[in-house]
Amino acid sequence: MFDTIAQYEAEIWQAIGETFIMVGFSILAAVLVGLPVGTFLYLCRKGEVLENKVAYQSLNLLVNTIRSFPFLLLVVFMIPFTRFIVGTGFGTAAATVPMVVIAIAHYSRLAEQSLLDIPKGVMEAAVSMGASVKNIIFKFLYVEARSGLVVGLTTSTISFISYSTIMGVVGGGGIGDFAIRYGYQQYRTDLMLYMIVIILIIVQIIQYAGIALARKIDKR
Amino acid sequence: MITLHNVSKQFEQFKAIDSVSLSINQGEIYGIIGASGAGKSTLLRLINLLEVPDEGEVEVNGKVLTSLKSKPLNQARQSIAMIFQSYNLLGNKTVYDNVVVPLELSGIPRKDRQDRVMESLQFVGLESFKGQYPAQLSGGQKQRVAIARALANQPDVLLCDEPTSSLDPNTSAEILSVLMNINERLGVTIVIVSHEMDVIKSVCQRVTVMEDGKAHETVTIDPTGIQTIDHSAEGYVTRLMKDGGRGV
Repeated sequence: MFDTIAQYEAEIWQAIGETFIMVGFSILAAVLVGLPVGTFLYLCRKGEVLENKVAYQSLNLLVNTIRSFPFLLLVVFMIPFTRFIVGTGFGTAAATVPMVVIAIAHYSRLAEQSLLDIPKGVMEAAVSMGASVKNIIFKFLYVEARSGLVVGLTTSTISFISYSTIMGVVGGGGIGDFAIRYGYQQYRTDLMLYMIVIILIIVQIIQYAGIALARKIDKR
Repeated sequence: MITLHNVSKQFEQFKAIDSVSLSINQGEIYGIIGASGAGKSTLLRLINLLEVPDEGEVEVNGKVLTSLKSKPLNQARQSIAMIFQSYNLLGNKTVYDNVVVPLELSGIPRKDRQDRVMESLQFVGLESFKGQYPAQLSGGQKQRVAIARALANQPDVLLCDEPTSSLDPNTSAEILSVLMNINERLGVTIVIVSHEMDVIKSVCQRVTVMEDGKAHETVTIDPTGIQTIDHSAEGYVTRLMKDGGRGV
C-alpha cells in the first residue's frame, strides 16, 4: 500500500492541493457572499424588518434554480460564463467558478435556515430597542445563530468536497479526478480506494471540528 | 406622556384593535387588562410601533411616532424600553453583555458603559451575576436582567408585556416591587399588560379594560400594594385548612 502511494506521491499531493483550492474558494464565497445573501433572504421574509415580497421571491427562485441543477450539468452549462470570468474554460481556476456559484447558493439557504431558528422574541427585543438593520444583523442575529451558522458551514464544506470530485470534466483536477483517472480509467482499484480513504479522513476531521466549535460557542 | 388617537390594527381578517384612544400621564403606572385575544398585547406593541397601526396616531413624549422615519423612530424607541413574558435575552451573551447592548445601540461612549451597566444590575440586585449566561439563571433572574437591560438607557417609559405571567407568585411579587421601585425612584412611566387581576390591582393607578379590540372602560383605582404569599410548609397547611379543613 505505502509503496503504491509513494510511487504517486507527487500527483497525490497535487490532487489534494487542487481540492483544497477549489473547496477553499468555495468556503470563502460561502461566507463572504452566501451569508449576506442568506441574511437578506431572511430579512425580506414576511414580518421581518426588510419585508419585500418581490426581492424575496426572485432571490429565492435564483437560489433554488442553482441548487436544483444537476451539478455536472451546471459546470458544463456555465463554461461560457467561466471563460468570460477567468479567460479559460479549463483548469483549476476555471473549475473554481462553478464551485463558487454553487457554494453561494448552498450556504445562503443553510444560513437562512439557521436564522429562522432564532426565537421571534429576540428580533422583537432588537426592534423595540431601536436597533438599526445593521445592528440587528451583527448584534442580534449572528450572535444568536452563530452555532447554527457554523454547523451549516460544516455541512456545506462537506458538500463542496463532494462537488469538487467531478471537476475533472473541466480539468479542475483534485482528489476525485485522480481517483477516476488512475483508479477507474487505468483499472487501479487500489488507488481509487486510497483516494476514497483520504476524502473520508478529511470529511471526518471537518465534521468533528465543525461540531466541536459549534458546541463550544453555544451558550444558550 | 403617551397618547393613542383612534388607533386600529387588523391582522388578515381579524380586527385586533378597533379605534382605541387613550392617554397615559407621566409618572403613572398604567394597566391594560382583558381576556386572551382582547387585544391588550397588541395595544401595548402599538405604543413603540412594534406593530404599526393601520389607522390613527401614536404620540410618546411629545413625538408623533407614526409620522417618524425609521432613523428618528429608532432614536425615539431608545427611550421607550420594553420587557416581555419570555424575557427575550440573548442566550449567547453574558448578563453584562446583554445589558450593555442598548448602550451600544444609542452610542453611549465606551468608557461610560461599564458604570451604567453596573448601576442597572445593582438596581435589580444582580451585579454578582454579570458573567453568567441566561441559561444559568432562574426565570425571575432572567426577567430582572431584562429589566436591567431596559433601564440601561434611562428610559422615560417602560412597557411590560405580561412581565410576570411565567413566574411563580413569589417571584412575581419580586418583579412587581422592582417595577414599583423604578416608577417611584426613577420616575419612569410604566404600562403593564396582564391577564392577572392581582398583578394589575397591586400596582396600577389607572387601568383600561379591553374587549374585542376595543377599550371597554378605563378606571382609576388605589393600588393595593404587593402581597407576598407565605410559601413555608406551615403557610400551605394554614391555607389548605382555612375553608373547611377536616383536620391533620
